Amino acid sequence: MLERLARRLTSAAPIALAAAIGLAPIAQADPKDGGTLTTFTSGYRTLNPAVQSGAATGAPGSQIFAGLVTVGKDYVVQPYLADAWQVSDDQLTVTFDLVGGAKFHDGQPITGEDVKFSLETVRANHPFGSAMFGNVESIEVPAPDKVVLHLAKPVPGLLYSLQPLLMPILPKHVYGDGQDMKTHPRNMENVVGSGPFKVEENNPAERLVLVKNQDFFLKGKPHLDKIVYPMVKDPLTRVLMLEKGEIDYAPFAGIRPNDASRLEKAKGAHVTTDGYEAIGYVHYLELNLRNEPFSKREVREALAHAIDTGFLAKVIFGGRTVPGTGPLHTGNPFYSADVPTYEPDMDKAAAMLDAAGYPVGADGSRFSFVLDVPSWAPAAHVPMAEYIQAQLAKLKINVELRKAPDFGTWVKRVSSWDYEATMNGSFNYPDPTIGVHRHFDCDNIKNVIWSNTQGYCNPEVDTLLGAAAVETDMAKRKALYADIQRKVQEDLVFIYMPQDYSATVYSDGVANLPDSPFGALSPFYDVYLDK
Amino acid sequence: MLKGSLRKLLNALLLMIAVLVLNFTLIHIAPGDPVEALVGEMGGATPELIAELRSRFGLDQPLYVQLGTYLGRIAQGDFGHSLYYDQPVTALIAERIGPTILLVTTALFSAIALGTVLGVFSAQRRRSVLSHLVTVISLAGFSAPVFWVGIMLILLLSVSVPLLPISGMSSADSAASGLFYILDVLHHLVLPALTLALIYLAFYSRLSRASMLEVLGSDYIRTARAKGLPKRMVIYKHALRNAILPVVTFAGLQFGQVISGAVLVETVFAWPGLGTLAFESILRRDTPTLLGILFFSAVMVVVMNLVTDVVYRRVDPRIKAR
Repeated sequence: MLERLARRLTSAAPIALAAAIGLAPIAQADPKDGGTLTTFTSGYRTLNPAVQSGAATGAPGSQIFAGLVTVGKDYVVQPYLADAWQVSDDQLTVTFDLVGGAKFHDGQPITGEDVKFSLETVRANHPFGSAMFGNVESIEVPAPDKVVLHLAKPVPGLLYSLQPLLMPILPKHVYGDGQDMKTHPRNMENVVGSGPFKVEENNPAERLVLVKNQDFFLKGKPHLDKIVYPMVKDPLTRVLMLEKGEIDYAPFAGIRPNDASRLEKAKGAHVTTDGYEAIGYVHYLELNLRNEPFSKREVREALAHAIDTGFLAKVIFGGRTVPGTGPLHTGNPFYSADVPTYEPDMDKAAAMLDAAGYPVGADGSRFSFVLDVPSWAPAAHVPMAEYIQAQLAKLKINVELRKAPDFGTWVKRVSSWDYEATMNGSFNYPDPTIGVHRHFDCDNIKNVIWSNTQGYCNPEVDTLLGAAAVETDMAKRKALYADIQRKVQEDLVFIYMPQDYSATVYSDGVANLPDSPFGALSPFYDVYLDK
Repeated sequence: MLKGSLRKLLNALLLMIAVLVLNFTLIHIAPGDPVEALVGEMGGATPELIAELRSRFGLDQPLYVQLGTYLGRIAQGDFGHSLYYDQPVTALIAERIGPTILLVTTALFSAIALGTVLGVFSAQRRRSVLSHLVTVISLAGFSAPVFWVGIMLILLLSVSVPLLPISGMSSADSAASGLFYILDVLHHLVLPALTLALIYLAFYSRLSRASMLEVLGSDYIRTARAKGLPKRMVIYKHALRNAILPVVTFAGLQFGQVISGAVLVETVFAWPGLGTLAFESILRRDTPTLLGILFFSAVMVVVMNLVTDVVYRRVDPRIKAR
């Protein structure tokens, strides 16, 4: 069976990196069946990842729903509901073979029609739906266990988008009733999934409980009996629960570097930063490029010389992260370090401001601006903003910090371009076409948060982005993204801050956690408890 | 009598309408946009989707039209749908109010009972060690932030001495039912209720001590003592009944403010109550839910004021006579 699969997979033309297909990881020695894994949730509005992005829905969603594929270590795409796939030589047709006998949690068979329905649902409802599947021209279901995608253009990152996090396999017989998918009652009540765990209790105020799907299509899996997600909003309470052993596994826990030091010393606890590479959380200072002074590149460069991101990485993140050097996270396969860097140099910064037409005026200052500070991720944004304020004061630039009272207020200001500068951060997501292009595409200057809100347009970069989006040769694609990273750093579109410090804490005995760069957002069918 | 009651009811009704209009206006003129907040939580959206959501929630209408629609719906008992949870607001409140009332009543009644006893006791022996201790504890209780007290109690009673669970209202992996479930909930209730009670305790012990001291210095107490009445009777029958009036007043008022008192404690202990829902709704700009909670809170205040009136009459015969 494996040989047949390997032959079929290796004979298929690769879809760039995504098609560097490997086999399922070799099973760990004697995984034990049974036990309850206790993790946590900080709240979710839906359990359906087809209509909601983010970890709150994605972490449990990837357990409740299966995907066509899953992503393993080093971004290797692995079979899941699709046990094989072939790509045509022109890269425009992808055929998936589905495993036999797969069933939804209500016992109904999973067919190609469900896959088609799921992809169409995601394309229409997911925030990245059109970015992921906009080039899927048509979907054909020639047999119940076969699905064929016809593409308008090659889509190098296609397979990454077919994991449960981004394209959960939904039951058409449940969701295909014509109701609005975003508010469909079955997103939260009596949820019928296709993945390794079923919903036993869904009480968003208190907890979510998932139980083993006994009829899961991967035989002998999952190993855990239950996954429990108690609702714990307060990060400090989470740390105490981890210390006491009330939580076994805490990803996306907002663990601060000093909490990590404390937990590393706690008996039986382990801290890892693995599993966040694909999400690629980068922080940056966003400047509204439409207006002076930030429309002038020299001013932006002066600011870049004034802000010592190495210092920030050391002080705010306790030396547990690295300064950002561009739009891509260091864990991203397309990351390039070959970019212009701007060493801390206050004298140079002052000289550049003088030359740019911003000398110290009669009032003792060069200029003033308001720096917006979002309400989210305050542990990172507030000290970074305060540091920037203090550094720029040395250059006689007055910075007024405007802390947003809530998320909506900040989103409104930034998405309506009604700001001068803001602390910001965003995710790379599985492929740069999803998480990175949106900030630089000329045609994505929109009144939408985390689009090209700063108003950057460089036709040269636009051309490079267009080429990288359809380039299927991995080496060529990497070269294109290296050019893009170099170019946007030359233009200083953003001033990158240190990369985020994201850590997962887990206790002794939690074995075989996903080694995927997607970490906690991957399916947990191989996880077991060795206690 | 009937006229007086009708007037009170009418006043309460007008107050409710004023509360509705004021809350609605304040929330809508505050910066921030519920659709932007929702879209941000979704991870972004197209301008078309944003426009569709705004139209669906009626947010593309002028403010006075939105207010008119809102009041019309309230008159029919419809408090709208939560923008975040997409559930009826009344269902959300009904789901969360039970845990909050359990937490607050447990904390409040324990604090009133113990605070009054401590206050009365320390008022009798003004210069005793216990009296000073009550004063110190009260001041500490007043000054310490409630979340800090909560974390300290967790460290003491859950981490150092693992007696009590840290968070939640019941054990996640237990299949307890009936009496065992009740015991499980009570086990989880101890820490949050204790945290909240310590704050209230500080207040009531100070209040009853001050009130008792004032009463004990009055002429009729001196007369009672001069008559040779037993000390117990002087304290509990003559002094306490008068000294407890401010305690009753404040208990009534505080019970009306259950939600504000519980917000931080519920957040620290992940208690699934109305306080956390209110807090989340503010951050998410979930206007219908927030308006529903505020209205509910106002109703609680009005009702508790009426109840306090009744209790007052029972406790203080002078009011009944008036």
